[in-house]
Amino acid sequence: MIVTRQIGFRIAAIVLAAVILQVSFFSYIQIFGAAPDVVPVVIAAVGLLGGAVIGAVVGFAAGFLLDATLLQTLGVSSLVLLSVGYLAGRYRESFEIDGSSAPALLAGGLGLLAAAGFTAMALTLGVDGTVSGLVVREVVLKGLLAYLLMFPLYPLIRFSLRPALVLEEPSTRRPIFRKRARPGRGRRPGARVRRASAPGRAL
Amino acid sequence: MYRKQVRRRRAVLVGLIVGSLVLLSAHFSEARSGPLHVIQRGVATVLSPLEAVASQALKPARDVIDWFDETWGARGENDELRGELADVREQLAEAQVAMGENEEFRELLGLDKDELAGFDPAFEPVTTRVITRSPSLVNASVGVDAGSADGVEVDDAVVAPDGLVGRVAEVTSTSAQVQLITDHRNGVSVQVAPQGPQGIVSAQAGNPEDLQLEFFSNDEEVEEGQFLVTAGWSNGELSSAYPRGVLVGEITETTLAEQDFQQVTVRPFVDMQDLQYMQILTGGPKRPGVDP
Repeated sequence: MIVTRQIGFRIAAIVLAAVILQVSFFSYIQIFGAAPDVVPVVIAAVGLLGGAVIGAVVGFAAGFLLDATLLQTLGVSSLVLLSVGYLAGRYRESFEIDGSSAPALLAGGLGLLAAAGFTAMALTLGVDGTVSGLVVREVVLKGLLAYLLMFPLYPLIRFSLRPALVLEEPSTRRPIFRKRARPGRGRRPGARVRRASAPGRAL
Repeated sequence: MYRKQVRRRRAVLVGLIVGSLVLLSAHFSEARSGPLHVIQRGVATVLSPLEAVASQALKPARDVIDWFDETWGARGENDELRGELADVREQLAEAQVAMGENEEFRELLGLDKDELAGFDPAFEPVTTRVITRSPSLVNASVGVDAGSADGVEVDDAVVAPDGLVGRVAEVTSTSAQVQLITDHRNGVSVQVAPQGPQGIVSAQAGNPEDLQLEFFSNDEEVEEGQFLVTAGWSNGELSSAYPRGVLVGEITETTLAEQDFQQVTVRPFVDMQDLQYMQILTGGPKRPGVDP
């Protein structure tokens, strides 16, 4: 991903929208006792599109914003979300993303990791009493919800950041007009053949 | 070239991890007036109007989802509520008789009614709306659209029509963070109504529905269905953060524990998931050990 100033603004807008939507909408929705966590899904998507460094930096910034908004201990969400962004980016750099379910599966795994990370950090920082077993159910459900959320979010974020993406999938469309070889103007013997570059391979 | 990229990537990762840990430890150890807290409150103040607008704009969508959720849940609750209604009618009749007697005794003794009321008239309730909510069960807190500009201070008690909600944990000029009584960091000193034994209710981390009544001796006799109200005690040097007589919840289960204390489960009266409006009790009498 090539991050120009305009793309930077777009990423900032996506992160801000995700944090605001999280605290004022998604946190109110309870699905079998767990609220969907949209921020790790967005960070995973950005990491998948932009790579490890961009994923980690955006995760850190989103975590700072989330902690500041909720007036929580600063640094907790940053630590968890930068890990999510970094791991998503490393996956993109190491493996081929083939099939539409790969990003969703990755988001499910990272959502589970993020929920477990948030819970572990919260418990480490200040629980004197007992911990309810419902915490485990919440972590698993959040992973499942992250898997489902990635299906609409990944194409949406990819569309928003499309101008910055270095390599797009080669287009399968055929060109509409194809030049016909003119009679009597054949290739000279020994002349080099010019190959057209792969269609849709935008740089 | 590739090695340089790898080194850069690792350096960024290490830098960010160290940055997070520094933020965490500095924020955890510094006072409320420290620079990180000031920055945090600044960011929260800037974002709170956006949150308020988003919360208001998305309310219809939330209501639709709530409607499905409540319709699903209401089917099972109907029979249970009918049984409870019969019990409550019985208790209401008893309470009305007791109130009549109480009124007569007060008149006989010539006491000022306001001084003995559960809510001290010195409190100035500030009505406020929920604008943010923590996504995690472990941190049970909500953000509201009233802050220090409205007279809200840290440790002010927060109530809803059904009973106690929690207390103010952080304040900015335009918003505040309310720690709910279902948060594991919160403890409320309570009394079994009307004049029963006292104890402390607190939540298990990650359980938003039930509270546990702690330090409650096996000798004390309590029954399922009894109500708990805030004890609002003060010994002159220390005092409870909550005013006396606010409804907290109902005892749903009692079991004798192996040690000296029994295990009592309490269901809060306020449905913390459906909270939309609440009142912050600002002002009020000075609380030794709570107010600076």
